[in-house]
Amino acid sequence: MPTRSIWTVSPMALILTAVLLPILGAQTVPPKSVDDIKIDKWNSVPLHGTAYAGLKSAPAPRHDLSGIWDATGDPTNIPPPGIQPTGAFEHRAVLPDNNSPPGGEPDERNIPNPLPYTPLGEATLEAHKPTGLGVRSVPAVLGNDPVDICDPPGFPRMDLSEFRTIEITQTGDQVIVLNQFYRTWRTIWTDGRELPKDPEPRFNGYSVGKWVDDYTFVVQTVGMNEKTWIDNQGRPHSSELKVEERFHRVDHDHLELTVTIDDPKMYTKPWLALHNFPLKLQPRGFDIRELYCSPSDFAEYNKEIGDPSIAPPVK
Amino acid sequence: MRTKLGPISLLIVGFLAASCPLFAHHGNASYDTAKTVTVSGTVIEYVWANPHVFLKVDAKDESGNTSHWVIEAQNAVNQANAGWSKDTFKPGDQVTIDATPAKNGRPIGRFKGRILINGQVFKP
Repeated sequence: MPTRSIWTVSPMALILTAVLLPILGAQTVPPKSVDDIKIDKWNSVPLHGTAYAGLKSAPAPRHDLSGIWDATGDPTNIPPPGIQPTGAFEHRAVLPDNNSPPGGEPDERNIPNPLPYTPLGEATLEAHKPTGLGVRSVPAVLGNDPVDICDPPGFPRMDLSEFRTIEITQTGDQVIVLNQFYRTWRTIWTDGRELPKDPEPRFNGYSVGKWVDDYTFVVQTVGMNEKTWIDNQGRPHSSELKVEERFHRVDHDHLELTVTIDDPKMYTKPWLALHNFPLKLQPRGFDIRELYCSPSDFAEYNKEIGDPSIAPPVK
Repeated sequence: MRTKLGPISLLIVGFLAASCPLFAHHGNASYDTAKTVTVSGTVIEYVWANPHVFLKVDAKDESGNTSHWVIEAQNAVNQANAGWSKDTFKPGDQVTIDATPAKNGRPIGRFKGRILINGQVFKP
């Protein structure tokens, strides 16, 4: 068969191509899936919620949570529930008008939906001095938040405050969650083992998980270190804390997380800390920016801002 | 390359900036959120770090006295998500910044919205 040379194409076709190509090239091809959305290859920025408009997500893959997921939500939805200093989703420790009392208050009776504390729970809460937004907030250098001295947030706090971008990866017998905030990670065993009976305390506890249907993965965690707080508000827990997480993959691009706190020493009944909290899949190749706690950076911040901000007033 | 959203991103950033108190992590109780001050002067240092990004600005008052302001933003990840970078400010830049001041009257503030860099409105 004779080969047709490009030079046999008519001059008119070449002219048309020359005219049309730049015009066509300038048109934006609408993305078909989240992976078609262009992102910076290094230090990627999570997609805004509007980026997902018009995308038709593929069905959820079976028994698969793997991917890079972002919990920061739409920046127009401030504060994104569950991740910022307001505390747990259904018990936000802020007043409706965001009018935090100066210096903080010992308890949270004024918030719209107070938690069911036991007397020990309330006493432990009073001893915790958070430094962010909220009815009990105190100035930065007067607080005793373990995270402010670069202690690990631990679990479940990594789900309930500063919950940002996570990577989930799966092996044959583990689901591994890698957290952006303070660069922490945890292992959820899926090999059928039982939870430990009398574990030595860990910041992130001991986790086992199983699929209860094709798209829902349920995790039980025990054995958490009592040094950690449950959230930025200083909600307490004891060594009897049990946490259940339900990861439900709604479709290819969407995952929902529900977290239940059960600690009979601190709370009179279990409570929902997150309820169908949305996580959005990020495009393939998303590079997670690091967010470490550096003691020397923190010292610099306190020297320049934290300490002088609570110094005696200027006359 | 990231899609340029133009006016939309400006709106979002404006909203983020206007909503700073909701994101504040450290020392919310130190600031007088009802007040706004405008700091105009020369950038001395820009620290792109955690827990919070901050900017040092030398500002002259009406009497010619120089105040050494330190103005904080949020952590570097939040600032990057809002379109800032390690190169947003450089020493010598002339800036005008609206800030929430510290309650104790010292020259410490938190970014509150308007930012002018060398006469230009900062558009991330």
